[in-house]
Amino acid sequence: MVADFEVEFIERDDRNARFLVRGASPAFANGIRRAMIADVPTFSIDTVRFVENSSVMFDEMIGLRLGLVPLTTPLDDFEVGETVTLALDVEGPGTAYSGDIETSDDLVEPADDNIPIIELKEQQRIELEADAVLDTGREHAKHQGGVAVGYRHLQRVEVVGDAGEFDEGEPNILRGVIETEDGELVATDEFDHDLAERYPGKELAVHDVPGAFVFHVETDGSFSVEELVTRAAESIGARAAELETKVAV
Amino acid sequence: MSYKCSRCKRDVELDEYGGVRCPYCGHRVLLKERAPTIKEVDVE
Amino acid sequence: MELRVIEKTDAELRMEIAGEDHTFMNVLKGALLETPGVTAATYDMNPEQSGGQTEPILSIKTEEGTDPLDAVGDASRRVQDLADDFVTAFDAAA
Repeated sequence: MVADFEVEFIERDDRNARFLVRGASPAFANGIRRAMIADVPTFSIDTVRFVENSSVMFDEMIGLRLGLVPLTTPLDDFEVGETVTLALDVEGPGTAYSGDIETSDDLVEPADDNIPIIELKEQQRIELEADAVLDTGREHAKHQGGVAVGYRHLQRVEVVGDAGEFDEGEPNILRGVIETEDGELVATDEFDHDLAERYPGKELAVHDVPGAFVFHVETDGSFSVEELVTRAAESIGARAAELETKVAV
Repeated sequence: MSYKCSRCKRDVELDEYGGVRCPYCGHRVLLKERAPTIKEVDVE
Repeated sequence: MELRVIEKTDAELRMEIAGEDHTFMNVLKGALLETPGVTAATYDMNPEQSGGQTEPILSIKTEEGTDPLDAVGDASRRVQDLADDFVTAFDAAA
């Protein structure tokens, strides 16, 4: 153990999570954040073969929309550069949704099935075949698995005394997660981001806790938050391993 | 070149001598149809 | 990742690490500064539009008795340990 990391979840869902990491340097925290955005690959449609497109939009515009549909990505089963073929065949009147996309491999399918692609009127039809490729967000933003990834410092709130009796009751807005004097972690939305709400009539001191980062991670549905975070850390480790072997020669 | 007459909806073959005119109904507005081939598009 | 040593003495190293960006370079620099025997470490990287040198260049200075290349090796070992420990701690909490 070179560093004593401590991880604690504050909010947790399959696609959305908030967790506290203690014992990280700012460089490391930022490395993980950047790796989550740009270095963890996801599947995204990259080539489209249009058999028919009698809709009101150009092939390229529909292609762009298809590229932005998140696809489930089992990273254990695929390497970067591998492709999976998908198909879409919808006739108007009606709307073509991402859920209408058929897949040749059940492991790779649209993560949401209610994304509208295009509205088709009577007599309009699209029929196409598409290749999804596994690549990283560094190549194209459509391959980003993390859509809202960031961190804030954990902030420690201490009561230093009572507010003056005739002080204006002004709001004291703070966003993120606070640590109370009892060591409890509280997301600020629990008290409407207003410290005056939680500690009425108190004088407070707020400090950043060194080395404690509250990550907020949201994925596009390609994989779970755990997968994204783990893969990001592993990608940094893998690059360090590569550098170590190359320097040793 | 293959077109479609906008009035009688029939397929029209144009050559370089006949001018722009539908040989069936004489209409002068012809529509270019989408090519029947498969078109490949790179998503960028 | 392609390495190209630009300048190397017993106590100094300038090396291009092609194919990497701030994501890895900043973590590496942070680890180098915590590596024993390293007196200075930094990297320089220019944006793609600037033309010229756009790949990152790592520069380090070491104390006597520490080979700069060994220091890079130690630091990358440290980055791997950090990543492994982070994954372990994260999995334990998840």
